[in-house]
Amino acid sequence: MQEADEKEYVLSVLARNNPGVLLRIAGLFSRRCYNILSIVAAQTENTEYSRILIVVSGDDRIVRQVDKQLCKLEDIEEVSVLDRAKAVVREHLLLKVERTLRNSQHLVQIADVFHANILSVTPDSMIVELTGDAKTVNSFIELYNPYHVLKILRTGSMAMAAD
Amino acid sequence: MLLTGAQIVLECLLEQGVDTVFGYPGGAVLNLYDALYEYRDRIRHIRTSHEQAAAHAADGWARASGKTGVCIATSGPGATNLVTGIATAYMDSVPVVAITGNVSRDLLGLDSFQEVDITGITMPVTKHNYLVKHVERLADTVRNAFRIANSGRKGPVLVDIPKDVTAQKTEFTPGKPLPLAPPAFPSEACFAEAAAMLKESKKPFFYCGGGVIASGASREVKRFAEKLDAPVACSLMCQGGFDQRDPRYLGMLGMHGTKASAEAVKNCDLLVAAGTRFSDRVLCNAGLFARNCRILQIDIDTAEFGKNIEVALRMEGDLKAVLARLTELLPQRDHAAWMAQMLGCKQKYPLKQSGAPGEVLPQDVLETLCALTGGEAVITTEVGQHQMWAAQFYTFREERGFVSSGGLGTMGFGLGAAIGAQLARPEKRVVNVAGDGSFHMNCAELSTLSRYRIPVVELIFDNRALGMVRQWQKMFYGGRFSQTDVDGNTDYAKLAEAFGVKAMKIEKKDEIEPVLRAALSLKGPVLVDCRIGKDVNVLPMVPAGASVEDPILKM
Repeated sequence: MQEADEKEYVLSVLARNNPGVLLRIAGLFSRRCYNILSIVAAQTENTEYSRILIVVSGDDRIVRQVDKQLCKLEDIEEVSVLDRAKAVVREHLLLKVERTLRNSQHLVQIADVFHANILSVTPDSMIVELTGDAKTVNSFIELYNPYHVLKILRTGSMAMAAD
Repeated sequence: MLLTGAQIVLECLLEQGVDTVFGYPGGAVLNLYDALYEYRDRIRHIRTSHEQAAAHAADGWARASGKTGVCIATSGPGATNLVTGIATAYMDSVPVVAITGNVSRDLLGLDSFQEVDITGITMPVTKHNYLVKHVERLADTVRNAFRIANSGRKGPVLVDIPKDVTAQKTEFTPGKPLPLAPPAFPSEACFAEAAAMLKESKKPFFYCGGGVIASGASREVKRFAEKLDAPVACSLMCQGGFDQRDPRYLGMLGMHGTKASAEAVKNCDLLVAAGTRFSDRVLCNAGLFARNCRILQIDIDTAEFGKNIEVALRMEGDLKAVLARLTELLPQRDHAAWMAQMLGCKQKYPLKQSGAPGEVLPQDVLETLCALTGGEAVITTEVGQHQMWAAQFYTFREERGFVSSGGLGTMGFGLGAAIGAQLARPEKRVVNVAGDGSFHMNCAELSTLSRYRIPVVELIFDNRALGMVRQWQKMFYGGRFSQTDVDGNTDYAKLAEAFGVKAMKIEKKDEIEPVLRAALSLKGPVLVDCRIGKDVNVLPMVPAGASVEDPILKM
């Protein structure tokens, strides 16, 4: 549940790849009562570091607190709060939908409109993948909803500053 | 040279100048204790009765001396017993390095005997912690633990070492303590803004927190206060950070602060807050705190700015350096009328306990103690009414003279802390001011006092009640004293004597001075059972939700 003056912020965190680093970050959020909407973590080009992207909801004050408290963790190298207007934000979706002889054509058409990939087709189901911003992914899912969606897997937001 | 992991740990402690550690042996630290036996001429190990007290002793050592405290415990219950002590140090930003053994690496994660994930458990209450799986990394890990504990805002660090790692051998290269991360320092523009605020202010009020002690800034605090010509208040954690005999001192600020401090925060036009995190025990109702003034905050931890209260100007840096620079920039101020107003308030509302004629009052006991020790004893405390009385009625005059669990409020802290403080400051008289409730929590440490002949005075304010909670029940729960009357059958004198500790009793007012004098003249540990009434309250008091500006003075 979001309060009225709450917004979503994307934090990009560079952390040393030590054991437990994700737990340290998650634990900090939980004990200080900050909300994590999504979290994506992976190694960077330098295998000693991970880049972790966290979408949080809160007001400006909370986000400044999150930023500073994160910076105090020994394994954290750098934290930046990304400006959504000046960043590329993407998430990845895998969607499995029920397939019948009658609807097959429609399912493919929707995928085409979004330039989504069809990864697997069986007589009864189809898996499509899409990368895009949250809004695109949401409308994509909405279009498939009438066709009985069997399963959705969605990563959190990845984001990179444009400048 | 080729050394075992256990020997490497001790070599690294020696590198850091550690000569005393507190701990308790056990299976997973057998190798470490074997090495301690070998190094016993260079490292003194104090075995407490319970690991919790070892952690408090390391903490008390650090608070009383400014050095890093070290405690050691075995895996499983040994490690979990440290947790309260580690959390206590964390809340009050005390540099402690805790070393725990764990099961051998091949047994990790298998629910082995006495296995516990202590790095997981202590993550929220340490600045950082390590599980060392490779003996080659052990030396640097211990060095880093000390660096982290002392850099910036200080705090505890835990190093967990599996048993087989302490037995493995590797090449050890002697090293030096790692350099501490240099603290931030405000820009010239920031100093200019601060100087302008200070010059503009007609009614400044200077409020100091525990950062003064951590930074060793009491001299800078005094000079700044004089140049600013402002009244001064201290938080509980800053007792002794400003000489309380100084006429500008108004007393403590917060829930049990003085009326004069409350008036100062209400009437000032600028609040200069140094090394304080504006805890809820000081702010009381944050929305009603300091509404008529601007706040200039100086702190080493940037996360403290705007955390509990918004401030007009933030100065990030080490207090000692920042205050010294501010004092340079500030021309001598003169606020005679404002000072007179505040000092008048201090005189109008003195801290005063009253009772029946001949009744033993904590105020008299503590003021007598203060007189007999010249205000130069190290006072440790447990948590509760006696803690507040100690802060109110002992006139602290130097840094590190008051050792108390402020943030976590840990009952049972004081006796362990007194052990550490006394060993760190052998030239000082150390008095642990306790309540009977707190004393019962960790009284087995009398055995530690006795074993090592540590000359701590254990002064128990014995009111047969959990006084602070009882006071709240009296005030807000209609006198329904749920579980707070502890009318005990403990005979403190007999208990102390069973442990080999001398015991004395104060039951009448005219016994206060002679008994305290006798206790202080002893060379060994002594317990003083001081019988007081159940209904002595801690006043002033700000009830929950009220403004710190309106303390209750009578109940």
